[in-house]
Amino acid sequence: MKKSLWLLLLALTLIVVMAACGGNNDPNDGEENVDAANNEDNMDENNGNNENDANDENDGNDDAAAAGDQTLIFARGGDSQSLDFASVTDGESSRITLQIYESLLKFNENSFEVEPSLAHDWDISDDDLTFTFYLEEGVTFHDGTDFNADAVKTNFDRWSDPDSEFAFADDGYAYTTYGNQFGGFKGDDNHIIDEINVIDDHEIEFVLNYPSGAFLQNIAMSYFAMTSPAALEEYGSDINENPVGTGPFKFVSWNKDDRIVLDKNEDYWQPDLPKLDQVIFQVIPDNSARLTALRSGEIDIMDGLNPDDYEMIQEEPGLQPFERETNNIGYLGFNTDKAPFDDPLVRQAMNHAVDKETLISLLYADLAVPAKNILPPAYLGYNDDIEPYEYDPERAQELLEEAGYADGFEFDLWAMPVARPYMPDAERAAEVLQANFADIGLESNIVTMEWATYLEEIETGVQDVFMLGWSGTNGDPDYFLGNLLSTATIPSSNQTFYSNTEVDDLLEQARSVVDEDERAALYEEALAIIHEDAPMINLVHSTPVLAGSDRVQNYVPHLSTSEALTHVELSE
Amino acid sequence: METVTPTNKKPMPGPERNEPEMEKIEVVSPWKDAYWQLKKNKLAMVGIFIIIFFIIVALIAPLLTPYAFNTISAGDRLSSPSAAHWFGTDDLGRDIFTRIVYGARISLMVGFFAVTGALVFGTFLGIIAGFFGRWIDMLISRIFDIMLAFPSILLAIAIVAILGPSLQNALIAIAIINIPIFGRLVRSKVISIRQEEYIMAAKAQGMKNGRILFHHVLPNSLAPIIVQATLGFGVAILEAAALGFLGLGAQAPTPEWGKMLSDSRQFIQSAPWTVLFPGISIMLVVLGFNMIGDGLRDALDPKMKN
Repeated sequence: MKKSLWLLLLALTLIVVMAACGGNNDPNDGEENVDAANNEDNMDENNGNNENDANDENDGNDDAAAAGDQTLIFARGGDSQSLDFASVTDGESSRITLQIYESLLKFNENSFEVEPSLAHDWDISDDDLTFTFYLEEGVTFHDGTDFNADAVKTNFDRWSDPDSEFAFADDGYAYTTYGNQFGGFKGDDNHIIDEINVIDDHEIEFVLNYPSGAFLQNIAMSYFAMTSPAALEEYGSDINENPVGTGPFKFVSWNKDDRIVLDKNEDYWQPDLPKLDQVIFQVIPDNSARLTALRSGEIDIMDGLNPDDYEMIQEEPGLQPFERETNNIGYLGFNTDKAPFDDPLVRQAMNHAVDKETLISLLYADLAVPAKNILPPAYLGYNDDIEPYEYDPERAQELLEEAGYADGFEFDLWAMPVARPYMPDAERAAEVLQANFADIGLESNIVTMEWATYLEEIETGVQDVFMLGWSGTNGDPDYFLGNLLSTATIPSSNQTFYSNTEVDDLLEQARSVVDEDERAALYEEALAIIHEDAPMINLVHSTPVLAGSDRVQNYVPHLSTSEALTHVELSE
Repeated sequence: METVTPTNKKPMPGPERNEPEMEKIEVVSPWKDAYWQLKKNKLAMVGIFIIIFFIIVALIAPLLTPYAFNTISAGDRLSSPSAAHWFGTDDLGRDIFTRIVYGARISLMVGFFAVTGALVFGTFLGIIAGFFGRWIDMLISRIFDIMLAFPSILLAIAIVAILGPSLQNALIAIAIINIPIFGRLVRSKVISIRQEEYIMAAKAQGMKNGRILFHHVLPNSLAPIIVQATLGFGVAILEAAALGFLGLGAQAPTPEWGKMLSDSRQFIQSAPWTVLFPGISIMLVVLGFNMIGDGLRDALDPKMKN
């Protein structure tokens, strides 16, 4: 009897020891960590009163005390498509890769002004053709290898050279964003980068074929961050699930459609950063479930707050709202390859059918403005002379008649399954659009599927009409126009399959012009043509809102879709 | 149905044509008797009243409301119940009363067709299994067992996932998952009836299997089938609402009650009427059918008499 008691005790001790020693490399460990975090949260609440008393005594010490447990849980609507930033365009992917990876330059936390990152300084030659970057010394990748000029060159070769051993083209990797931002790939006539010269370990030179107005802007984008060449070697095409960068957080595990766990990079090159020990990105598809989780303290920050709840959050103790600046377009794209949407008259008719004001007051709580251009209003080249397609069902019907569809037709209306910054509730929005189209005699069936599948499917061109949006990530108009509506980016980001050589030429010209007014004029011209062709219905430019617990300090949503959580910390 | 035979075990003399005489001997036919029993049951009468009420509402839906169920109106967003909007409006400014009224059509239709489908196929399979026995029974019964081994809603979700989400496919899925329930019921009834002397007699007279099945076995198994069908009505409506709630049933803009619930659940605190009325409607209809079903069971069960 006694013996068995001892055995039991021994077993218990072993279990406790083993649990304590459990490494964070165990993908299942995340679950335990959350539970631990929750327990801590509760304990924090219990201790809250005492802490406040203590703070009262310490007058003048206005810094909130840092919480003991620095695990931040960030909840979002959908999972990332891939953790290889350069081959995908969705914001849920860059939200993660920004934590793991860094580019040579970065954006100011409130704007698209470039700031030093992995390159602490840079020189531009007088002819605007040679850019020399001076790299930070002593930076290592998460796998321990050194970050140096060779690594930079390897990365750029990977995106620009289809023959690069790390291009992984056979495994479905395509770097269309690179192609768009840098005028094509190695060997193309319009490729901006002529050559990349490694001067020494920490100095690298980019020689351009022709001046580019947005070159530094592009270098700072999250798409062009530095992956460890050793990791590319090791993981090959599995690099999208085994990211290794220089960023403030290290990749730990990824349970698809559930969570991504990142740990603090203890050897981060910026001293005393990051503040957090661990970041968990949790997928909670339902907006209201996410808010409930926030209220109960299960999560710390939530993306995709219902605009409806925004006002309430401002009043609610324990919570704080965040606003991201307007920098996006929510649109309804036509598959211009498919009848009847290959007819501009049909597309214009449907443009006239949509009541954007109603859409905004129903679904955005007025945190959005109706769109007439694909570019957000503050952008260079925004064409304010464009007459928007007014909400006019009768005109829409006339146009349909003219196009030969007086009796209407039936089509599938694809709606995103997740909350996006530009579209907080796509399925509801689809119902509004469905009613709008019904008014002009068009019958639509709302189709939806899982987010990653949705993105894959619309690239194949099976869709009739689809909802999607785009958020600026470098503040440059080309990022919108070039990606969404140029022939080169079909189908990776141009899923309307819109192809107009006139537009392509204008965009190409604009890319090589450095003078801002000249560029603006070219974009305005392109926008006017696009307006007539109407490959999409420009719905809204929204102001995305988020919410967080008031323990979250120093969180500044960047106006691009995502931001590094380097400076964020949790207070008591 | 003139072929009704008494349910108590009395030796049945001779062939069919003697039966009308039998009825004269009995003072009341079992069906008439059941009707009286049911009429005495207050709960069942309430159930019948509820269902008739909903049927009427569904039939005259357009006369009850000045609105269309899919008219979106930004100005009326989430307005509380008022004279203009009896049940308030939802987050797209649609009149909830109108949607409930039209939704009654959807729910009753789903209930009717799903139960009819399950009833027809389930009864057919059950009779075959019960009457012929041996390997046919083995095969059909095992298939029923397999289907019943799945939680029914899970099976329905799987079927809809294969067929694609739509009201029609949800209806098919609900019908399929209810087949074994009817099938097993009918099978066991048939097995017990098969032993009855009047069936032996019919067989002895050289009556064909088909005739025995449809003139003797089926009419005598009707009572439990009717009870199960009534109860199944409620279950089917509930399952349709569940599928609608999961986005696998009726698609927008169809005003299906379950879908209305799921679409509005984020407003449960700020605008409770958006979920209250669809919820109450589902509850009432299901309750109504259950009350009738319970009443029928009591009325049709000879052991419950007096």
